[in-house]
Amino acid sequence: MEGRRILEDLSFGVERGETLVLLGQSGSGKTTALRLINRTLDATSGRICIDGRDIRQLDPIELRRSIGYVIQDFGLLPHWTVEENVSLVPRLLGWEMDKRRRRARELLNQVGLDYQEVHQRRPYRLSGGQKQRVAVARALAAEPGLLLFDEPFGALDPVTRHEMQQQFLILRKQYNVASVFVTHDLLEALALATRIAVLDRGKLEAQVTPGEFITLRTPVARSFLDTLPSGLLDRCAD
Amino acid sequence: MDATVLRTLLNQVLSLTIEHIVLVAVSCGSAVVIGVAVGIASTRHAGMRRISVAVASVLQTIPSLALFGFLLPIPLIGGIGRHTAILCLILYSLLPILRNTIVGIAGVERPVREAAIAMGMTDRQLLRMVELPLAAPTILAGIRIALVTNIGTAVIAAIIGAGGLGVLIFRGVASVNTLEIMAGAIPAAVLALIADAGMSLLERRMARP
Repeated sequence: MEGRRILEDLSFGVERGETLVLLGQSGSGKTTALRLINRTLDATSGRICIDGRDIRQLDPIELRRSIGYVIQDFGLLPHWTVEENVSLVPRLLGWEMDKRRRRARELLNQVGLDYQEVHQRRPYRLSGGQKQRVAVARALAAEPGLLLFDEPFGALDPVTRHEMQQQFLILRKQYNVASVFVTHDLLEALALATRIAVLDRGKLEAQVTPGEFITLRTPVARSFLDTLPSGLLDRCAD
Repeated sequence: MDATVLRTLLNQVLSLTIEHIVLVAVSCGSAVVIGVAVGIASTRHAGMRRISVAVASVLQTIPSLALFGFLLPIPLIGGIGRHTAILCLILYSLLPILRNTIVGIAGVERPVREAAIAMGMTDRQLLRMVELPLAAPTILAGIRIALVTNIGTAVIAAIIGAGGLGVLIFRGVASVNTLEIMAGAIPAAVLALIADAGMSLLERRMARP
């Protein structure tokens, strides 16, 4: 698009084992920020570094294969089986069939699916929660150091969403991976973040720990806090 | 009717049917290669898409008999004979194949394409692993239309000396010989029906369960 700045003055860092949550309303530029990181979009100015290296010096294809990516609509390939979907990045990286199989089995079990039951299924035979588990397994397949999540659990029912969030915490610890997590769900942000960056129409409004968040007085942060049931905050403050 | 006359006619039907099949196979095969290739290129460049669809649409609107006529006086590619007929049949088959290739590839769902790119597929891998397999049923449907239409249009090729079953039909019309007309028309219709049934079977196989 000509002329309009989608993001401005946005700056953050994430270490291994940490999750930076980008919190903001629709249109605040959260997804754009993610797409800049894996170079499905290129920034007009500014700098993004992974392990100290400017990503503009990396080949975009190699870069994307080294970053796990999960989106709300799953994006599973409908004509491939679950196992093939999970093995996508290893296949692009040229892993041998045996190694890919072993890895797929291990991953599907790690995300809480029964390998024997689902590995030959096509995505249309999975529930929403199962699809998202497959998508998470796919993102982890080649053991990336960085994971990008674009509102991954937004379309799931509350119970499944909670399960997935717990699974996320376990996997984060297990893989010691850095993650950037986009959401507009404050409770999700509080549950998963090590830091929360609040975006207001493309600008960074605040960057705080979940504990500090409830003390924020900035407008977007306040409007998110207002969505919580009253009484909940008082309990958090204790 | 004399048995010898009948046998001669049968032999003629057989050899003209083979000629007809060759005309259709060569022209349709070429149209598939050109149509799918241009279709793929058109999904990569918006300018190319506008031009290719416009050209193919214009070609399609020219009545087939007139298209044969237009090509006749053109040096090198035109003239009397089989090659002119094949060229004409190719041009005539392009639109459905081209259009369905574009529509089929454009029809791949946005999250699927987005995820495939984000996972690190190159454009070629995206095409081979995602777009073409998912677009295959749509592309096949286009080929089916082109093929069945082509079998009918190839009848007219006889008028510029390209042979095929049209020879019998035109001769029958000229000499008011119903038997000859039928001897050309029935095999042409049967060919079209067989082609349609075959393609439909293939389409159903390719379509996702």
